[in-house]
Amino acid sequence: MSGLTDPRKEFGRAVTALADDNERIVVLSADSGKSSGFGEFATAHPDRYFEFGIMEQGVTGIASGMASTGLIPVFAAIAPFVTSRNYEMFRNDLGYMRQNAKIVGRNGGFTYSDLGATHHSLEDYAIIRMIPGVVVFAPSDPGELRSCVAAMIEHDGPTYTRIGAQPLPDLFDEEPVVIGKGRHLREGSDVTVITTGYITTETVAAVDLLTERGIGVDLIGMPTPSHLDAELICASAARTGAVVTVEEHYVTGGLGGAVAELLAQEQPTRMRLVGVPHAYAPSGPYDGLLEYAGLDAAGIVRQVTEFVSR
Amino acid sequence: MSDRVANLELIAARCRRNVVRMIETGHSGHLGGAMSAIDVLTALYFDIMRVDPARPDWPERDRFLLSAGHKAMGQYAVLAERGFFDTSLLDTYGAMRTALGGHPDMHKLPGVEANTGALGHGLSIATGMALGLRKQGIAARVFVVTGDGELPEGSNWEAAAAAAHHGADNLVVVVDNNDLQISGRVSDVMSMAPIAGKFAAFGWATREIDGNDMSQVLEALDATPFESGKPSLIVAHTVKAKGLAFAEDQAAYHYWKPKDDELARAVAELDARIAQLENSAKQLEGAVK
Repeated sequence: MSGLTDPRKEFGRAVTALADDNERIVVLSADSGKSSGFGEFATAHPDRYFEFGIMEQGVTGIASGMASTGLIPVFAAIAPFVTSRNYEMFRNDLGYMRQNAKIVGRNGGFTYSDLGATHHSLEDYAIIRMIPGVVVFAPSDPGELRSCVAAMIEHDGPTYTRIGAQPLPDLFDEEPVVIGKGRHLREGSDVTVITTGYITTETVAAVDLLTERGIGVDLIGMPTPSHLDAELICASAARTGAVVTVEEHYVTGGLGGAVAELLAQEQPTRMRLVGVPHAYAPSGPYDGLLEYAGLDAAGIVRQVTEFVSR
Repeated sequence: MSDRVANLELIAARCRRNVVRMIETGHSGHLGGAMSAIDVLTALYFDIMRVDPARPDWPERDRFLLSAGHKAMGQYAVLAERGFFDTSLLDTYGAMRTALGGHPDMHKLPGVEANTGALGHGLSIATGMALGLRKQGIAARVFVVTGDGELPEGSNWEAAAAAAHHGADNLVVVVDNNDLQISGRVSDVMSMAPIAGKFAAFGWATREIDGNDMSQVLEALDATPFESGKPSLIVAHTVKAKGLAFAEDQAAYHYWKPKDDELARAVAELDARIAQLENSAKQLEGAVK
């Protein structure tokens, strides 16, 4: 494992690099461009950097209008404020209007751990995947983040990308992200574990511990939780007969909900949904909140072990 | 009266008749706002805006957004008259899978630029369009009709601030100020007065007109942008259900499900108005000859 990468900086660098060759890319800020990693972009392309102050609903509509003129607006801000606060604008002005705008929620999940429930984003996959035609990206490590940014820009339509702020280790070889394609990360026959986003770091650590203990895990990474890889997931579920989902999101409506919807219809399989309890989480350090939700490696190991031994 | 004004008044009368034609087919609809805004819509589509019905996606076109999407019949009536689609399509209003939904859908009907209906969205989208066009060096302008009743939605004021801050003088907003919403007088339900004063305070250049007086509508729109570097706002004082004497200025006709004899009265009144205007036009023509 190499050093750790700040996902916001990496995200900003990736967009800036693409924007050097693609003049249609513009960046919209709601008083948070630099925190979202766009300091470099603002310096490199000041004419394509638009500051609006704190108005996430307005900026979502503005992104829609800009997209309609052929630009590719990228609007990044704190995750709950670009998913929950502006939900109707996201649904109508981007989803329903099929606009090619890229919304990015940073500090997703528990990242703003100490700022409390207003700043936690634990329902974003659920509510955004409800909007027809919107692709949700949830990169897990720096390489996947770069690949998600490339796929996000390449995709002609509205997208939501959730990034965190915790420094990320490199977990996997960098591969192109394809919407609706999962990554088969480990092979095992006892249980299928499906994960998404940056909690993958903890999931991988948990899978390593489970493997040491003799539990064979078939591990699937799903970088587009709104668009599941049905073939890969159903085939794995058929082999193992037991599926666990792991996500830094409410167990309600997120990756676990999506996989349950799929398997209930295509490959009924017993499941365990590992995620955040459906309650307003406490404030505290990030590590503490992962432990609270059972999303640290030890918590994931405990829940998977309990599930497979039933 | 100039030929220009007389011609547009005749078109507006035909568009009002188109609205009633849709209600004849669909049996109900948002009459009041469609009728109050028709004069402004007619002036925009037939005189002010650079549009080409044969090329609805022409990149250089001026854009129009109906923020108050429930006035859709007004927009459909004008788009049909302008030739964006055949007027026979108006007879599908209210039908299953019609392209003319109760609120406009850009993917179903040529000439519609945004899917509106939920109030308070139009100004933000239009601001983005205006900035996007300017960014790409396209000289096109963006026009919005919003209702006075939708102004309490806070998103309007986010856009008002953004458009002014970024100096979007290619943006023109017309408030169809008919002073009525479902529950009654706008001033009683939730006063946003002074509308022009509020927008001016946000950095807009503003004017107030009688929005059912075609001369005043043209004069104001001709003068936009009122000031270089500022978006323009026109408060157009209008009469809800304008053109139907029995329905004018009554909140009950915000949404109209015609009673037994009302449709016939509406048709007779509008047909008489059209005949009168056509007659004046012929006399004018005769006098010139």
